[in-house]
Amino acid sequence: MPNMNDALNVDAELARFEQEERARLGLDAQVDHWTDSMIDPNFTAKERPHTTLLVGGLTIAHDFLVEGALRGLGYNCRRLECPDNDSLRFGKEFGNVSQCNPTYFTVGNLVKELCRLRDEEGLSAEHIIKHFVFLTAGACGPCRFGMYVTEYRKALRDAGFDGFRVMLFQQTGGLKQASGEELGLPLDPPFFLAIARALFSGDVINALGYRIRPHEVEPGATDRALMQAKQEVYDALHHHKSVVLALRRARKYFKDIKVDRTQAKPKVSILGEFWAMTTEGDGNYHLQEFVEREGGENEIQLLAFLLLYNLWEIRHDTEQRMLLKAADSGKFGLADTDVGLRLAGLWVGELALRGVFQTFAHAVGLTHFTLPDMDEVARVGHSHYNQELRGGEGHMEVAKLMLNVMHNKSHMTLSVKPFGCMPSSGVSDGVQSVITELFPEAIFCAVETSGEGAVNFYSRVQLFLFKARQRAQQEIDAALEQYGITREQAQAFLAGSSYGTALHRAPHVACGSGADLIHEIGPLVGRTRAEQARVHAARLADRTYRLVTDDVRAVYASARKVAPYLPAVARWAASEGLSMVPALTQSLQQNVKQWLTPTPEQQAEVARAEASEAAPAGVVQLRKKVKTALRFKTEQPAAASGA
Amino acid sequence: MTRPVVIGLDVGSTTVKAVVVDPETRQILWHDYRRHHTKQADCALDLMVRIGQAFPATSTADIRMFITGSGAGPLCEPLGAKFVQEVNAVTLAVESLHPDVGSVVELGGQDAKIIIFKQNDKTGEKTASCSMNDKCASGTGATIDKCMIKVGLPSEQTAQLQFDPDKLHHVAAKCGVFAETDIVNLVKTGIPSEEIMCSLADAIVMQNLSVLTRGNTLRHKVLLLGGPNTYLPFLQQCWRKRIPETWDERGYAYPKDVPLEELIVVPKNAELYAAYGAVMYGLHETADVGRYQGLDALRSYIQTGRAQRLGKNSGPPLVNDESELTTFIDAYRIPKFQSATFSAGQTVRAVIGLDGGSTSSKAVLMDESGELLLKAYTLSKGNPIQDAKDLLRDLRDRVHAQGATLEVIGFGATGYAADVLEECVRADVNVVETIAHMLSATHYFGDVDVICDIGGQDIKVLFMENGDIKSFKLSNQCSAGNGMLLQAMADQFGLPVTEYAENAFKAQLSPKFNYGCAVFLDTDRVNFQKEGYGKEELLAGLAQVLPKNVWQYVVAVPRLAQLGRRFVLQGGTQYNLAAVKAQVDYIKQRVPDGEVFVHPHSGEAGAIGAAMETLRVVKRRGQSRFIGLQAAIDLEYRAKNDEETKCTFCPNNCSRTFIDAFRPDGTTSRYISGFSCEKGMVESKEAMLEVVAQRKQLMRSYPNMVAYEARKAFQPVPGARPMPAATSSVEDVQTARTFWGTVKRKSFQRAFARSSEAAAQKRKTFRVAMPRVLNMYSTGPFFRTYFEVLGLDPRNVIFSEETTEEMWSEGGKYGSVDPCFPAKVVQAHFHQLFFHAHKERPLDAIFFPILTHVPSFVKNAVDHASCPIVAGTPDVIKAAFTKEQDYFGTRGITYLDPALSFSEPVRMKRRLFEVWKDLLQITEDESDFAAEEAFAALERFDLDVQTKGKAILEQIEADDRLAILVIGRPYHLDPGLNHGIPDEFQQQGYPILSIRSVPKDEAWLSRFFAEDLKSGRITTPLEIGDVWPENYSANSAMKVWAAKFAARHPNVVLLDLSSFKCGHDAPTYGIIDRIVEQSAVPTLGLHDIDANKPGGSIKIRVKTYVHSLKRHQERLEDLTVKKQELARRLDEKRLELLRMKQAELSARQSRDTTLEAQITALAAKVAAYQAPAPEAEPTTQPQLIRLRKKNPEGEVVAL
Repeated sequence: MPNMNDALNVDAELARFEQEERARLGLDAQVDHWTDSMIDPNFTAKERPHTTLLVGGLTIAHDFLVEGALRGLGYNCRRLECPDNDSLRFGKEFGNVSQCNPTYFTVGNLVKELCRLRDEEGLSAEHIIKHFVFLTAGACGPCRFGMYVTEYRKALRDAGFDGFRVMLFQQTGGLKQASGEELGLPLDPPFFLAIARALFSGDVINALGYRIRPHEVEPGATDRALMQAKQEVYDALHHHKSVVLALRRARKYFKDIKVDRTQAKPKVSILGEFWAMTTEGDGNYHLQEFVEREGGENEIQLLAFLLLYNLWEIRHDTEQRMLLKAADSGKFGLADTDVGLRLAGLWVGELALRGVFQTFAHAVGLTHFTLPDMDEVARVGHSHYNQELRGGEGHMEVAKLMLNVMHNKSHMTLSVKPFGCMPSSGVSDGVQSVITELFPEAIFCAVETSGEGAVNFYSRVQLFLFKARQRAQQEIDAALEQYGITREQAQAFLAGSSYGTALHRAPHVACGSGADLIHEIGPLVGRTRAEQARVHAARLADRTYRLVTDDVRAVYASARKVAPYLPAVARWAASEGLSMVPALTQSLQQNVKQWLTPTPEQQAEVARAEASEAAPAGVVQLRKKVKTALRFKTEQPAAASGA
Repeated sequence: MTRPVVIGLDVGSTTVKAVVVDPETRQILWHDYRRHHTKQADCALDLMVRIGQAFPATSTADIRMFITGSGAGPLCEPLGAKFVQEVNAVTLAVESLHPDVGSVVELGGQDAKIIIFKQNDKTGEKTASCSMNDKCASGTGATIDKCMIKVGLPSEQTAQLQFDPDKLHHVAAKCGVFAETDIVNLVKTGIPSEEIMCSLADAIVMQNLSVLTRGNTLRHKVLLLGGPNTYLPFLQQCWRKRIPETWDERGYAYPKDVPLEELIVVPKNAELYAAYGAVMYGLHETADVGRYQGLDALRSYIQTGRAQRLGKNSGPPLVNDESELTTFIDAYRIPKFQSATFSAGQTVRAVIGLDGGSTSSKAVLMDESGELLLKAYTLSKGNPIQDAKDLLRDLRDRVHAQGATLEVIGFGATGYAADVLEECVRADVNVVETIAHMLSATHYFGDVDVICDIGGQDIKVLFMENGDIKSFKLSNQCSAGNGMLLQAMADQFGLPVTEYAENAFKAQLSPKFNYGCAVFLDTDRVNFQKEGYGKEELLAGLAQVLPKNVWQYVVAVPRLAQLGRRFVLQGGTQYNLAAVKAQVDYIKQRVPDGEVFVHPHSGEAGAIGAAMETLRVVKRRGQSRFIGLQAAIDLEYRAKNDEETKCTFCPNNCSRTFIDAFRPDGTTSRYISGFSCEKGMVESKEAMLEVVAQRKQLMRSYPNMVAYEARKAFQPVPGARPMPAATSSVEDVQTARTFWGTVKRKSFQRAFARSSEAAAQKRKTFRVAMPRVLNMYSTGPFFRTYFEVLGLDPRNVIFSEETTEEMWSEGGKYGSVDPCFPAKVVQAHFHQLFFHAHKERPLDAIFFPILTHVPSFVKNAVDHASCPIVAGTPDVIKAAFTKEQDYFGTRGITYLDPALSFSEPVRMKRRLFEVWKDLLQITEDESDFAAEEAFAALERFDLDVQTKGKAILEQIEADDRLAILVIGRPYHLDPGLNHGIPDEFQQQGYPILSIRSVPKDEAWLSRFFAEDLKSGRITTPLEIGDVWPENYSANSAMKVWAAKFAARHPNVVLLDLSSFKCGHDAPTYGIIDRIVEQSAVPTLGLHDIDANKPGGSIKIRVKTYVHSLKRHQERLEDLTVKKQELARRLDEKRLELLRMKQAELSARQSRDTTLEAQITALAAKVAAYQAPAPEAEPTTQPQLIRLRKKNPEGEVVAL
């Protein structure tokens, strides 16, 4: 009851009464509608020293090298192990029903690791949430891949890690991070350069490994070389040294592997869904290993191909829209876009990508490796698979099968995809049925992975490998017959010859590496030095002729294609290039500063040494030690962790 | 030197076959075939020993060995044999034995394979193209075996069965579990066993012809291989009927003068082909390959190698030690039921509750006080009436045997058989299973949080609140058959299911199964068996996967603790203590303080629930309508399914079954099953017309916006402007690239360009067809208007018909892939266009655009993309219909599937012109104008649907009633895809809303989103970034928005539809769950709808959901009463306070006229509360929804 001595405030009294009445009637329950509290992961620079970045999701080599690159940038970083069947089980328990396999494997892999940290290392969930961040690639459509981060949030929340930060390094965008403070993970040029170096070196090492391993004479020699090569590059990335030189050093490990390329090895071009075809664990039943065990040689797809495809997508989309009567808005519309700058940037980007890749490839010994011409890929596939259909590998799966057959690139095309993969098993496989009808000679095996039933999976691959093996054998037999030589003669010729080394790559004539080599050495085997010299001379003349005709024509054609963009490239260089300079300079300065500034421990050690009156000789020695320590300051922890 | 031989061994999923071949002559010298009962290695050893005995003179060094089959892998090394892939083996055998064969169809226990030999035109080489079933369709042979058990047909009788194509029923053969579910339903509706087996055979054959051939046509001559093809003559006959039909349909030339038995051949010794082929393969290999090593290594592998191989990948055992087992068994063993005893001469007054389950039927006798007296159980024998009669007789005899008399005072039924029993024996109660289980569990355990019932086929999990069902989850077709799987597994090891637990507890380790459907699990089982896991381990592993299937797959809630802490386990599977142990461990691990109870009458929980409900109903009604115990036992019945019973009220001609019951008192009744719409419920035309009239009345009363939108999306939208004259002016833009690479645009005016009169005349007769599928449901008005504005006759703008089962079974044979059903069904629509629409009047073009982006109302979304499968289907269809023959070209039809984006109108206009300029001879101005009108038509269509939706929403809010908002993708409007589920709810008296029909007027919506807008989480009500930032999938984003809306509108509940394999919906399940859970919105989710309509399962869901909705509505009504009370109390209080204020002013000798006026008005209002309420409008029926709208004053008035 209000006090009658005070002036009565009707509204206030009524409000109080209403509150009481609502409580009495049970009407005061406000529905607090659900919103996702994990949407904006906030990772600030201040947290960086005591936060560990977890990375994963690519091949074993890529994950390893990305870890090295991020450590080199000063981050605490740890890669996740290759996802296994336990990861799948975690994924299935905490993920949504009806997800695709890569989602279960990758999401489950993160949850598995966090549970391990909690249950085995005894870290509390709060500690893990506060001190760990997961960094992964992402996309924004159009298949389930674009929704991975949704799935990560759901699984982490349900597994008891509500609030764990997942940073998405978007395929076509930046890092999703909204924070008023200084960013914990700035996406600056040094970051991109470091990641790009890790990814491309991972690509060339992988490609070289798959090229050599099927032919190795001593089992395990290639894997050993791969380990050493990866460590070289890791150290270079970690210590800001030249990756090219590291790859150059790695070359020797591969060079020494003994190989025999005269056996009939069916070349298997592995296509399909990106994760399923690149993972090297339970996610695809160790497919690559299985193919090699069954006597095949894998032709894998590289990350660089996907990046080239992404560049092609943007270029194609821009060119298709630039001359419309008006610019549309939306994700693909060109409203507020400087078309010239964008196209010039893409051109420079593609040139840089190809240049860096080939430099790395040549450094490590991956010779005669051609990156695909994305215009050709698009042109070949378009009549069957519309270029504007996106998701997964888009038209590439269909086009690559066609190119494999048209250009004799492999004996067999193996398209691997997760059960129910939308772009791959839902669309590409449907279209492939007409391709195999058009090219009846194609050996095409589409196979789904589900995490269960490895028996059926292997059985299907074996079904087609049988035919491919027969074809490889026929091909090599035909080559031997063509030159009238035997396998033993070829082997004898190769022994001690540069043609027989692991890094040698015969020019592409047939599907298999063996047949290619026979075609290359066939005219030389059993010939006199003079006859061999004649063959070499003819080959040189042919190469020169082709260089003058084909290559010059190609250069001219591409110059004509590029010429209209040159003014825009100049503009691009002026705008983008100049804006990059300060960041690069700043980064360089920071590195130098970091390199020159001794740590407090080192300063203390110097002070202690200088203050010490005894053992002047020891002081000199210590000073020398500290000086050395200062010079290699950044290398010490790296060496420890890298090992 | 002895005579060399080559051994071929085929280790399959159920049998091992061996041949010994002379490498010179290639003759089979010896062969044998036997079932391995999952002991492949032992069986192989046995066969090898016998070979050794048969060829005593042959030394080991002269034996080569090649081995094939799914179980061959681990045996290769110990035997020194070379592995040969099965299809390769079969191909080589066929090439060797039958060089003239064009194709091979092999059905095995797990795998099905089709090999088609094709001639390469370029090289003349004959190549074999092979396909195997995908993992979702494995287990054909196993399915036939299981179904034979379910229909109760002995194998000798099955072998005599003849295929009769005239009596076929719907069976989904896509997957073994689906087929079993359908078979159970057919059995329960009394279909004769022979007809069911023929239907299954037909379904398997059609499935193989439509899917496994990957759209290819089998070449003659066709070889049928594999166990089922060899031993089941009716299956052979079915192939011989269906294969020539596809040949005729596709215009394939085959020799018609050759008897079918010679064109489609079952060779002798077909089961040996793979083993023989392995030898043929081996003969291609060099002599050092496949050298037989003798049997020592195999023996050692059997004895010790197995355990070593299993290694660290295995999971934990079910029990770690004896004491754990003893403690568990003491705590959870179900006490043995003591049947009641009766004294001689006693009259036992009781009710009977009967649960007609999928694999067994149970009945209980319960006295008037609710005491359980007797239980009876029978395995299903194929007919529910017969099962019920047997159970009743059993109960009666057991009472009579003690000299007592049984007086049944009521009879209630639940389960699959309830409908037919309600009709035939006039059951007092036909209660849905979920409610029956709930009644039973709460009777024994009071206030519980979760009830988990696992029967043979279904899993039902009920979430409870205040003693009633709050929500529920049921297994769908893909998670069905778990209980049955445990039994089937025990059967495979030759164990009675009662010994399952005893064996499983012995395991020291277990294989780690992944959760999933029963077919996948069986595939996994084959795999683990191959790896060397033994019986005990497999049984333990399978028991451990059960809780995963329940909680991760069916319930899909990883945080079990959020469901509560008191769990009840019931259902027949709980008699298996291994399953209980796995469940208890799983629950206790996740809910440490949880309590798990096992129902004391687990298997009879449903029957007890039915009995309890019967007691309640009979007491309330005062009498029973049951025909009486003796009459029920003596009931005669006859099931009829022939031409006469076929429904003729629509072209679907549903094959119905009439079950006529003849009661001893001379009365009869007829139960009709097998119809797909309400017309089939009756027999005469008059009755049908009455049913249709009732339905129309119902539809008027409770609007169904899903049906309305589905219809309107393909009808002309009035209001388009006519094409401008050539004299009118139009603004154009000239574009050019500059030196610097930028694009310059310059506007200018010019005259509108019209095409010639001749072109216009041509357009009038031009016929364009579009499939009524996928995103055409959201864009149909656009395309129709575009063509109509360009001058096409509206009758020449054709859409294929709505999806029906018949359309699918007729036209679903061209696909080479197996995506979601909405994408798969498109081929059937094309078939309908080719073979019906085009036949009636030739079509000029079929237009099926690749819609990369679709219209969406969601604001600030990342993108408005289509699903990749939906977008890509036009190209898949093009491949399917041009692969073997060009269905378009041969009919003179142009197929157009350009990529179009609704997010980019300018580009869309350009693309439409490019596509149609030559065919329709139009100018760009005409095309652009038509496109603009088309966009406007789409908006008008939206507005029309939203106006009606708004009226419904305002009406239900005013009336305190509920409307069901169907959230799905646009094509779920198709009744063939939503299986008429929205209509089922409409018939229950709920208005149905579609996503499009919810008003998108931001001002109107801001009332519901006020808090969100205030908090700054969103800037417009049409945004979903606060719950899902990765919202690029337009249709998924709209679903999520609709869920958000339902969470904020008190009178809207949800029906969430997703198709099986939907990749774009999957990530939203968790989001929508969160939204509706936190806001407590009743939701029925059906996330795996597919081609076949699971009628029984839909019925359970609809009935249970309606039960939940009634509770929800009661809560709403209570809330309204409370709100009214609050309003009244506030008015009274305000009056009191104002009077106090007035008194206060008077005390100060002051006066406020406004205050006085307020007091007067309020006093009148308060006085009115005491007055009787005015009478309701006499002219309207309160249960009907009248379409009305709110006027600016906020009153609901007529539309």
